[in-house]
Amino acid sequence: MKKFLVLLKKEIMELLTPQVIAPLLITVALFGILGNVVGREQKKADQPKTITVVNYDQTPLSNTLIDVFSKNNLKVESNTDSQLDKIISTAQVKEDTAVIVIPSGFEQSVLSLSPKQIEVYNLVHNFSLMGIKDFASIAAGIGAVNNAVSNQLIAAGNVGDPTILKMPVQANNYVVVGDKKANTSPEQVMGFIQSQTAFIPIILFIVIVFASQMIATTIAQEKENKTLETLLTTPVNRKYIVISKMAGAGIIALASSVIYMFGMKNYLNNISGGTMSQAGVGISEAVKELGLVFTPESYIYLGISLFFCILGALAISLILGAFAEDVKSVAGLTSPLMVLVAIPYFVTMFLDINTVSPVLRYVIYAIPFSHPFLAAPNLFLGNYTSVIYGIIYQAIFFVIFVLIAAKIFSTDKIVTMKLNFSKKK
Amino acid sequence: MQQALEVKNLQKSYGKFEAVKNISFSVKEGEIFGLIGPNGAGKSTTLKMISTLLSIGNGSISVFEYDVAKQPDKVREIISYLPEEAGAYKNLKGRNYLKLMAALYIDDSQKQKEYVQRGEEISGLGVRLNDKISTYSKGMTRKLLLARTLMSMPKLAIMDEPTSGLDVVNALEVRNIIKEYAKKGMAVLVSSHNMLEVEYLSDSVGIIDKGIIHDIGTSIDLKKKYNANNLEEVFVKATK
Repeated sequence: MKKFLVLLKKEIMELLTPQVIAPLLITVALFGILGNVVGREQKKADQPKTITVVNYDQTPLSNTLIDVFSKNNLKVESNTDSQLDKIISTAQVKEDTAVIVIPSGFEQSVLSLSPKQIEVYNLVHNFSLMGIKDFASIAAGIGAVNNAVSNQLIAAGNVGDPTILKMPVQANNYVVVGDKKANTSPEQVMGFIQSQTAFIPIILFIVIVFASQMIATTIAQEKENKTLETLLTTPVNRKYIVISKMAGAGIIALASSVIYMFGMKNYLNNISGGTMSQAGVGISEAVKELGLVFTPESYIYLGISLFFCILGALAISLILGAFAEDVKSVAGLTSPLMVLVAIPYFVTMFLDINTVSPVLRYVIYAIPFSHPFLAAPNLFLGNYTSVIYGIIYQAIFFVIFVLIAAKIFSTDKIVTMKLNFSKKK
Repeated sequence: MQQALEVKNLQKSYGKFEAVKNISFSVKEGEIFGLIGPNGAGKSTTLKMISTLLSIGNGSISVFEYDVAKQPDKVREIISYLPEEAGAYKNLKGRNYLKLMAALYIDDSQKQKEYVQRGEEISGLGVRLNDKISTYSKGMTRKLLLARTLMSMPKLAIMDEPTSGLDVVNALEVRNIIKEYAKKGMAVLVSSHNMLEVEYLSDSVGIIDKGIIHDIGTSIDLKKKYNANNLEEVFVKATK
């Protein structure tokens, strides 16, 4: 047993090197900061949601509805314009969560137990989890309204269809995306989009991690197997050594992303078909009506964004690999890179990038790996411009870092560079 | 006759530590020059600067008509370097490794075949060249790497501890191969801490310790000068 403990101690001491500890500490610190930031943004998201109410009824009952909405974490703004489309556009610009239309004759129809439906136009601005929560607030508000009106009807001694007595306020839901609207519930649309876009960041994360580890490992292996010095003294242009390593890893990564895109396309097609059989034609038609489908153009943009993201990760990994003395240290050295990929992954999953604080927004935009994560929802919303800017930014980032990598390889830094945490004597 | 290698006032520091302090020596075509000294003397640093791996601190190095600092690409075309702790790509078979390296040295496919054939002869590995390098012993790998170093007939071969880790038989074989190729006109710069090996191998010898060259000459001249029986005694007396 003593000998086992001696060996165990040796193994742990061998693994606990500065190259392992330092990146670990950086990772823990970054996740701490990330949790803090997301937590603060989530608290901001708990602020009352703004809804525009168009009250064509102007009766005590319709005013009760507005009153109940206000008491259920919803900030109500009124609009009496006659043109609904204009009201919806204004609300979209203000980034309201919904427009609720109370039709004329509403109170009378409720009291006669043949209620007219209120129309709820749910305005989609993003597909994050916070966005889904916003619509839950609207649904909760309508639930509260139903309670209040139901209690009033029962207290007044109304008798009739119990279903109507329990739910006198019925909502006809619409989802509005840009200038398109569809008669469906926001939960179904958001769930549909989430089921598709949730897949993308996971695969993207895997591809980037795979490609980055691959290239950093090839450099580390050359150093560990003592083949690098021989290679560097051959009459081969050192830029070719850099480009060949990146091209090799890039070709494999590109093949992965092409296969991924085909797989995703099949997945989406099957989901649409599956959704048709599971939830009826409704959601599939609604999604098409809203324009929330990936066109061939969308796939191309996403593919290009993914490709440049991978190239950028390869360039950074090449530089990180130059610090490695052996294959063992690669995982530790590349972990900060993994964190830089994880940050936009988590942030874009939970939060709407357009509503977070400017500092956080610019930090996310500055991380080149954010842009493919932002691309998919933007492509659904038809925001091609932001996707193109993201691609250009990633391309510039890649060129800068590949030039740095080429510079390292063309000097003796590739041979002498290492992370040294020992005290100088 | 043109000097194959001319090192003048070479200096290299790593931070405050001066690894090489103002050394000068030259190597003629067809000459085997041995740089002898203990571990940490500055031999490997000197060889790495000559082979363009490390930047020069101060001074100059010329390989034939090319300046190492200003024309490293040209220098790499006419040298071949065998590091002390060299490795080969373990997933490749021996022959494929020679083919890969030949392709890095020359574009002409006919010349590549010549190089590979020469490499196969030098290595003496025979059918084992069809096996993966990961299955080779240390001696076999070193012979393969030596073959890689010499197969392109470089004008200057730079070898750091060429027989490092080899048994007596393999070490003798390697020394004989080096001598044979030097006779064909190749200049050879060899470094070793095995002074008896260098005495056997080299035409001229440079004694280096703590980054300084203490003396240069033929083995016979140095032994006479220091009244020594062998180069080990020469070293001790020269570095006192």
